[in-house]
Amino acid sequence: MVETGTGAGRGLSLAIGAASVLFVVAIGVRGVPPAKSVAPQDVIEEGPRIVEPMQFLGSGAKLRAAELDEWIAADRRARFKALRDLVFHLDGCPPLLEWIASMDGQRLERLLGELRTGTREEALAGLTLLYQVARATEWKPGVMTTTPQAPAERLGSLFQDWLRTWGEKSATDPLLSEPAVATALVYGRVMYVAQNAPVIGTLQAPLDRARTFLNELLQTGPSRRSPLGELVQSRHGSALSRFVGTDDPLSGFASDALTMFPDLKGNCSP
Amino acid sequence: MNTTREHSSVTGIVGGAWLVGVGGLLLGLQIDWNGSVSGTGWVSFAIGALLAVGATLVRLRGDAARHHDERAPRAGVADVSLPRDVPGILAVVTSFLALTFLISGVLVPGGPWLFFEIVVLGAVIVARRQRADGGRWLSNGMLTLLAAMLLFRLWIAYQGGRNHWSLLSVDIPVISWLPFDFLEPVKRVSLGSFTPDEFGFPPAGLSFAPTLALWAVGFVSCVAGLVWAQTSAREHENDRIHALIRTLPGGLANFVERILPEDEWQSLGLHGLPERRLARRIETIVAERMARQKELQAALDAGKLLAQTNPGGFAGEIYRSIVDPERRVGADADGGTRGSRNDAADDRRSRDDDGSPRGGTHS
Repeated sequence: MVETGTGAGRGLSLAIGAASVLFVVAIGVRGVPPAKSVAPQDVIEEGPRIVEPMQFLGSGAKLRAAELDEWIAADRRARFKALRDLVFHLDGCPPLLEWIASMDGQRLERLLGELRTGTREEALAGLTLLYQVARATEWKPGVMTTTPQAPAERLGSLFQDWLRTWGEKSATDPLLSEPAVATALVYGRVMYVAQNAPVIGTLQAPLDRARTFLNELLQTGPSRRSPLGELVQSRHGSALSRFVGTDDPLSGFASDALTMFPDLKGNCSP
Repeated sequence: MNTTREHSSVTGIVGGAWLVGVGGLLLGLQIDWNGSVSGTGWVSFAIGALLAVGATLVRLRGDAARHHDERAPRAGVADVSLPRDVPGILAVVTSFLALTFLISGVLVPGGPWLFFEIVVLGAVIVARRQRADGGRWLSNGMLTLLAAMLLFRLWIAYQGGRNHWSLLSVDIPVISWLPFDFLEPVKRVSLGSFTPDEFGFPPAGLSFAPTLALWAVGFVSCVAGLVWAQTSAREHENDRIHALIRTLPGGLANFVERILPEDEWQSLGLHGLPERRLARRIETIVAERMARQKELQAALDAGKLLAQTNPGGFAGEIYRSIVDPERRVGADADGGTRGSRNDAADDRRSRDDDGSPRGGTHS
């Protein structure tokens, strides 16, 4: 037998004690609660603030769009007001590629770039204009064109620019968290339209572009997700699962975005 | 006593305990999509512990029944193996916890499937009792069943990890081939649906790949630890018995160990007995075996009786070799001359077979 007073005996006692501790830990870890889903708290901000920011992205945005004027920096407020009036009164459903290449479209694109680099309220204002453009122009793939995916890809690049600048920091921002999640979905939907633009077959390039960008934005790999990825997971887990694990990764995003914004079909239909 | 071996068996028990502890730790964890680690909950652990208690009781009854059959008419529940020192206690605790971790690790955490699995495991445990194949904490059949249940749990976790809340989704022919979105809700049928809450999935969703790795490694670690601890515990008990026998004078101890081979000690119920009862049991078994040996010797000494009933031929020669080996050796030394009546009978039988005598000379 191993004598308890010897070094071997003490070693044995230590080993048995450690095994006992390990047993207790093995039992105890079963009670470790799962981490709660990240949900940004409503922060009561000092002074005036924008409430219900998602209303600026919905089909009723024109009812409140004028509220955004006061949040725009003075040096670009006039241009913002003019372009806001323009896009919210855009009639005839012009093709997106043609309109964005027009003088008005170029002005809008320049202003969007400025708003992206401004305050969070200006970022929301820019996003409001972008959603309205997506709602009021035609970017649905044409049947007889050689590059049917081009309008949707162009719109996707506008959304991508906004997400690239604001996506990561929006996750913990009570003003921009929900618009950022919605925009990630809409971006997925727009690129899904581009992917499926041909009458026969699908295009790989829009899919690869969207997959690379969303993987980077949401960090859907085996490592920990980004805060925005956690938000998308908590609200649209099924879409994210399909993005990670199926042959048709953007279909979940497209489906959820269509549910959220049924009027964003690319043909100006309500 | 072989000190090196004793040390090895204790080391084996402790090593097995460590493996089981690590395995239990891994089987009790899961990882969500955000990389956060959480526990698998108490429900399946509690049920696993209950089933392990049931399996332990069945094993003890199996021990008692086996010893009753093989050893002593008065054997009963009191003859079951009990740990007699700290390593023995650690081995029993390790084996029990290993079984608990394994069962709770393969059970689905909740819902109707949990009760289905409990019924299956209970039926297997009861069937095991009827076969009375106690003595082992984990039989091969039980291990296979647990592995199959682990596979089932992994499949459910895989489905849940993809946000597919059913065991199986079957596409309906024809309808599922049509490229119309409005048919999406009726394109497939889900079988065996479940909810995330039932299975204790974390809110952020279960990350399947790392969780699979945890559970698979945990399962293997628990099984390996259990086998190691069991084997070492058996060696440890054998060492106790060996030490007791070695208190006899050297020659006598060797003789006793020839009469009681080491590989029979467990089946003879010598494991787990206190030293005093162990000594008495060894005395009893040695006495029984010596008496049987003497009976056999006496039967062998009744040579004439065997010779009179010798049927001759090959069997007869074997008989004669057993009864009177010296005479058999003498006959061979005479150049194959056989002087007995059996030789003549043998030769007559040979002539009857092929018409000519075979080998040897005739008196």
